[in-house]
Amino acid sequence: MANHTQAAFEKQPMWAGGRSPFNVSYGKLMMWIFLLSDAFTFSSLLVQYGAQRFSNVVSPVTTKWPDPASIFNHFPFIHGVHLPLLFVSVMTFILIASSVTMVLAVEAGHRNSRKEVEKYMILTIIGGAMFLGCQAWEWYTFIHEGARLHSNMFGITEQGYKHLSSIDFGDAFHWADGDRTNGPVPFAALFFIVTGFHGFHVFSGVVINVVVYIMTVRGVFEKRGHYEMIEKAGLYWHFVDLVWVFVFTFFYLI
Amino acid sequence: MEFPVKPGEYDAMNYVPHTESHGTKELWRTFWILLGITIFDFIIYFALEPTGFRNFIFIFFGIVKAYYIVGAFMHLKHEKINLALIILVPTIFIIGLIMGLLYEGNAITWMK
Repeated sequence: MANHTQAAFEKQPMWAGGRSPFNVSYGKLMMWIFLLSDAFTFSSLLVQYGAQRFSNVVSPVTTKWPDPASIFNHFPFIHGVHLPLLFVSVMTFILIASSVTMVLAVEAGHRNSRKEVEKYMILTIIGGAMFLGCQAWEWYTFIHEGARLHSNMFGITEQGYKHLSSIDFGDAFHWADGDRTNGPVPFAALFFIVTGFHGFHVFSGVVINVVVYIMTVRGVFEKRGHYEMIEKAGLYWHFVDLVWVFVFTFFYLI
Repeated sequence: MEFPVKPGEYDAMNYVPHTESHGTKELWRTFWILLGITIFDFIIYFALEPTGFRNFIFIFFGIVKAYYIVGAFMHLKHEKINLALIILVPTIFIIGLIMGLLYEGNAITWMK
């Protein structure tokens, strides 16, 4: 059977069958539908987080929802210094950078340039692996600090707030006795569930990228005549980046 | 009705998608915008007191970032409008759910 270009399909009536009314291939449309369902999954997790947070604005024991700046203030190889938001901004930068290399791979695929696709896919995979490493370190530090699924000792007392507001970015910082108390229980559990679920997406994205990279090296797409598989993997990868934008906003910034 | 390609003649395995490079200019521009917003967020975080206004800035720029990622990186801006709509319209319900549950969550605070 002859190969039909999309232009030939476009001349048909839109809903008469035999062509995609959305002007995309079946695989790409299904990837979009999957991403929509995945967006609902992440939304349900983030809505749960928001509801928990709003239901713990002020609890009877002077504890509020823990301030992210007081917890995620570590940076690798720098100990005892108050550096809130710095490490997670680096993680965000890594993910944005790997997103742009992914989209450059897609663009190279449009030009059927196999060497460039290979180069940019390798860079994307490295970026994803770096992000996973950062997240492993973040989890390790958080658990080391005492984060558990069933309890939360990150609630801050009045004394703790005074202590925290007296120091600036980059100052030496250690918690004093009585700075912290028990806070709302779901805090750490929600952190682990949401960032863990996102991290698992990053992991599966890296696996997909590796598979697609191997297929590129073996010349599968060259034989097929188009690099649309890179686009599908790219859609998934950008979605992971998109979710991180909201995780970053709601878990670290606010 | 004339069909240049008869229904049923469509062969998914031999389908050749329409591919054309639009260059890398828009992609790099999007990268710099995303990076700029992230740095802006970082500055705002330390420049402003933690208030509702600061949170509004963060959420607003989060949505701006999402627009650029979905529009430019995921190419949705250049897809057919009906594809964009079936993806984007259902997310309105998410916004409704967020509003509802934040309101209810806040009410639970005062019942504790």
